[in-house]
Amino acid sequence: MTGQAFFVLTALADGPRHGYGIVGEVAELSQGRVKLKIGSLYGVLDRLATDGLIEPDREEAHDGRLRRYYRLTVDGRRALAEEAGLRAATARVVRARLGLTGPESAGAAG
Amino acid sequence: MSGQDLEQRYRRVLRLLPRYYRDKWEEDMVAAFLDSWLTGDPDEDSVTMEYDRPTRQEVVSVAALAARLYLGGAGAPRRYVAWGQAIRGTVLALLLTHAIWGLGQLLLVARSHRLIGWLPPVPAVGGTWLTVWYVAGYCWIAAFLALVLGQYRVARVAAALAVAAALAIVLQGQLTGELVSPFASWSYLVLMDLIPAVAMAAFHRDAPPVPRRPWLLALPAGYLLVNVPWLTLKLTGNAAWLPDTFGLCCLLVALACLAHVPRAWSSRAGAGTWSLTLTLLAAVVGLERLTSLSFYPDNPHLARVGLAELLIMAAAAVLVAPDAARAQAAVPAPQSRPRLG
Repeated sequence: MTGQAFFVLTALADGPRHGYGIVGEVAELSQGRVKLKIGSLYGVLDRLATDGLIEPDREEAHDGRLRRYYRLTVDGRRALAEEAGLRAATARVVRARLGLTGPESAGAAG
Repeated sequence: MSGQDLEQRYRRVLRLLPRYYRDKWEEDMVAAFLDSWLTGDPDEDSVTMEYDRPTRQEVVSVAALAARLYLGGAGAPRRYVAWGQAIRGTVLALLLTHAIWGLGQLLLVARSHRLIGWLPPVPAVGGTWLTVWYVAGYCWIAAFLALVLGQYRVARVAAALAVAAALAIVLQGQLTGELVSPFASWSYLVLMDLIPAVAMAAFHRDAPPVPRRPWLLALPAGYLLVNVPWLTLKLTGNAAWLPDTFGLCCLLVALACLAHVPRAWSSRAGAGTWSLTLTLLAAVVGLERLTSLSFYPDNPHLARVGLAELLIMAAAAVLVAPDAARAQAAVPAPQSRPRLG
């Protein structure tokens, strides 16, 4: 899973969001490191929808335009949990090898 | 003033995307795009709509998405998938020819430095531009191997270096008046160096991995296939029968087409993509053969031989062309916008 797809799925983990809402949430989650352009966002959304990891939720009118909201599917939730687990495990290994102390490295040692 | 507002300007950018994709996502993209610009203040928004235009990064992101979709990205219709695979196959074949040539240069340099003891040494040749020429060949070897091994970024950097080296050589030749045929040299640079390097965009993250074993084996096999007959003809005093590089490419593509004919005519699964690849390859090599004929303005015999090579390849390509047309013509019905759950 690419970093962008991981952030988009994470942005949808606590509820449905529309396109620009996802952009804002991803920027916040990544502390400003990932600034999705609309072209990139819809490339990711299309791939995730094709893979059955997200689906449309509802449409709402806003200033004369329709905002379409997306939500995680059951498969999307599972894929995100697996990816988060993998990334957490990798982070624990890295911290342990760097000899960093803290809850993450304690988890790796245990 | 263009008479358009920001929304219309963005919709014009979105025309870069394939139709099926726009049908599915355009309204969403426009809504998200305008959300990212408008503040809700009517005065400010009115100025924004009238005077602002999509940023360069925004246009680049749409262009990159369009390139990936046209080259068979995730969920693309069969037509684009077939074109994506054909372009990837053609790029690999062209890079393979460069790599075979680079390998030849590498072995020649090794022999001149007596690094291959069992082969007779060749006299060392030097010079700055010859070195640049050799470096271009080595870069193509690196680009080909990196592409086959899935290291797409490394491959693009190596190809860019090879193109830069080739450009420097052609420019130097142009400025010093040493080019036998400037038209043929520039054509070669564009057709055989620049276009394959740009077309490496077809190796995107949705592209299936390159089958490693056959392509890796193709490098030494191709080297032997080209050099053993060449050496044999030369040693037996029959060098006059040797085709030039472009003629050899025509004959090899013709052989590949003929070998593929039984599969193409049996309409076996997957044959269509190979037919499309060979047709595309024949088109590129044919153009190169045609432009390279200007190397022989004073030698009508060699020009006629070159034309004959071109015709042989064209005749062989015609045999697989109908299957190629079938492979890319079948366009499934475009998907509608995703339905609400």
